[in-house]
Amino acid sequence: MATEKTDVVIVGVGAAGGILAAELGKAGMKVIGLERGPRLTTADFAPHDELRYFQRMDLRPSNKRQPITWRQNANVRATPMSILNYGNQAGGGTVHYGALSWRFHEDDFRVRSHTIERYGAKAIPADSSVADWPLTYADLEPYYDRAEYELGVSGKAGNLQGRKIDGGNIFEAPRRREYPLPALHPDQCGVLFNEGASKLGYHPFSSPRAILSQPYQDRPSCTYCGYCQSFGCHVGAKSSILVTKLPEADATGNFKLLTGTMVYHVNTDNSGRATGVSYYGPDGSDNTIEAELVILAPFIYDNVRLLLLSKTEKFPNGLANSSGQLGKHMTAHIMAKVFAAFDDRYVNVYMGPSAQKHALDDFNADNFDHSGLDFIRGAQICIGPADLEAGPIGTAMSLEPPPGTPRWGAAYRDFAAKYFNRYAAIVAQTENLPYADQAIDLDPYVRDQWGLPAPRITYNWKRPNELARVEFLMQKMEGIGRAMGASKVWRGGLGPGAPGAHHEGGARMGRDPKTSVVNRYSQSWDIPNLFLMGSATHPTMAGFNPTLTIQALAYLTADAIVNRYKKNPGPLL
Amino acid sequence: MNKHDAARRAFLVRAAAGAGAVAGAGLVPGAFAETQEQAKEAVPSSAAPMHANVHANREIQGAFFNHADAATMAAFVERIMPGAPGKPGARDADVLNYIDLALSGAYSDLQEFYRQGLAQLGVYCGAKYKKQFAQLSAAQQDEVLTALDEGKATGFAWPTAQAFFNTVRTHTMEGMFADPIYGGNKDFAGWELVGFPGAQMFYSPKDMESKEAFSRAPIMGLQTGLTKISMGPSNGPARKG
Repeated sequence: MATEKTDVVIVGVGAAGGILAAELGKAGMKVIGLERGPRLTTADFAPHDELRYFQRMDLRPSNKRQPITWRQNANVRATPMSILNYGNQAGGGTVHYGALSWRFHEDDFRVRSHTIERYGAKAIPADSSVADWPLTYADLEPYYDRAEYELGVSGKAGNLQGRKIDGGNIFEAPRRREYPLPALHPDQCGVLFNEGASKLGYHPFSSPRAILSQPYQDRPSCTYCGYCQSFGCHVGAKSSILVTKLPEADATGNFKLLTGTMVYHVNTDNSGRATGVSYYGPDGSDNTIEAELVILAPFIYDNVRLLLLSKTEKFPNGLANSSGQLGKHMTAHIMAKVFAAFDDRYVNVYMGPSAQKHALDDFNADNFDHSGLDFIRGAQICIGPADLEAGPIGTAMSLEPPPGTPRWGAAYRDFAAKYFNRYAAIVAQTENLPYADQAIDLDPYVRDQWGLPAPRITYNWKRPNELARVEFLMQKMEGIGRAMGASKVWRGGLGPGAPGAHHEGGARMGRDPKTSVVNRYSQSWDIPNLFLMGSATHPTMAGFNPTLTIQALAYLTADAIVNRYKKNPGPLL
Repeated sequence: MNKHDAARRAFLVRAAAGAGAVAGAGLVPGAFAETQEQAKEAVPSSAAPMHANVHANREIQGAFFNHADAATMAAFVERIMPGAPGKPGARDADVLNYIDLALSGAYSDLQEFYRQGLAQLGVYCGAKYKKQFAQLSAAQQDEVLTALDEGKATGFAWPTAQAFFNTVRTHTMEGMFADPIYGGNKDFAGWELVGFPGAQMFYSPKDMESKEAFSRAPIMGLQTGLTKISMGPSNGPARKG
């Protein structure tokens, strides 16, 4: 058993933890990062292997060693889910993600107020816990800008300081300057999507991605090999934390990374301060780090679980939980799909960055009038492969044949042979609302490889508001598919109600310590030297992928710690 | 390919080709003839003389499946992805070899799932047809798979009929389309079926702008040396030394 002392301990060095490691290290603070998985290198990612990385999900936590269980409602027993889409190595999910890098809209930060102002309070489903964020888009804009430029994001502005620009996302909130890198080269499904959506009067554009369209910061540009989602980039063109912020943290001389370590407890003293963390080493040893500042930045399940596991007499309901809100208000995107197949041409969807290649924002957020509709909020609609990755295994698993074609046998074989290179999927990534009973707690029956209770999700997205929205979007997407000139257009299935991608919530930020877990700086209301990073703090989720917002919030927190907290430790509000 | 690999392949090729011979008595002449006819397309003729006497050579063994289960699985996966002239199927891709290796390694936690799934399938086919699955006609095999897929096959507890079918379907697709290093997708059969060029390291702007099929050969696998020469019939199972 070893005990080390340091200024800062960061649990999980992914999208948020990596940024904080670099920024606090640069400010002269001694930082120890704890990472459950390994630290890989770009050299580990060639050549590409779909079975290992996409199908067997080698860059993600094993659901056998680290299970997460799910149940549709509180009356049934939860069972372990299949492997979820988050990271299990230094760099976290940014190593294998599709690298979508969105800024949320202005109204995404004030869903409750905005909805009431435009449609009245009755428009919000009675059981939904949608809430405003404790900060605005304008508060976060400088940090979005910084994240885009520090990491390297490719895209085209659609709203430069209020000036709308065709070809960019004209629905985006105003940005101070262009993206640091031009948009990625379009592939054929992007071209078709642009043509089809434009015919219908929509406003398609190349999705902003943390993938280099040109060399940047000594890293080479994308080779368009198509191995993005689920894979590490074999040239380092994906702006993952692994190739951007961790080298920066190393260079400070103040950062030490301990891999293969599993944090199981956040330690606190009688005064209510966090004193550090305890973790199991790769050899099974039981170790402690004493730190002045404890930053938890794992994925939402380990964030919530660690706080629940660390309860004491002083904090009987878990740490940072005097509000009783810890674990509640979880939400996740689902991907409603329409498939489009082409008899007269090839699409070759496996070429180019694989995830959410082109998009339109006309039906996202409150960008369209919901008057007379029986739902609020919307979805980002995008084009790409059936499941964010376009290899033949992924296609066989996710490209659902059209009605009348079976999923096995000679007819399926012929369908696969004909359309593997002649299809694209139009996908709506829906902004599902938070509900208080969509929650994370500790599973009383299932334990992980360390003997710790598994995180348990109680969740069912199939609510009236969400189902009505999916039906609306399905019709829009069928229209887009036809406008693209597809010879066949059909809907995909909707699944059993489990959370899909981008799980958020469980430790929401707010203005009031009575109803939220952390403040706008991701600082615990109850324990001022404890910060909770990542999408767990998001009060609502937007129709956009959360990573850039996670990173912008990390920069905001880093600034607050370096410029204010460091000089005067204590509550930032 | 070393001697052990060659012997494994011999075992699995025979399981694929000679299901009736493995299972013993009770052959349906039509089904057997059909199976043998299909086998001639896929199996090097030099391997044929060994079909009749599988158990004579004790070194010939799969990594996981016993002979009867291998015969069942060979027939099962071929119905999920049947081969036809110019359209490689599960047998051509050696899907059985992929699953056999996976169950002895990465998927060893699924061994009991497969054992019980196959045992239940055996009971179901025995009750309904008085035959083993591999001995049924192709149409009857499809009837069984449909009943599994739709959850209508009776007598399944764990795994359920649908869970078993879905898992075998998933593993069939993996065996068709995973890199050949894992023992299936033989000679890139699966990638040729759908026109996938493999793990290409780049596409040019011109590639990206094309409305045609991509044709910059060769297909790229994890081991560029793993070509048709080392995977093909010349190193087939009957060759000694």
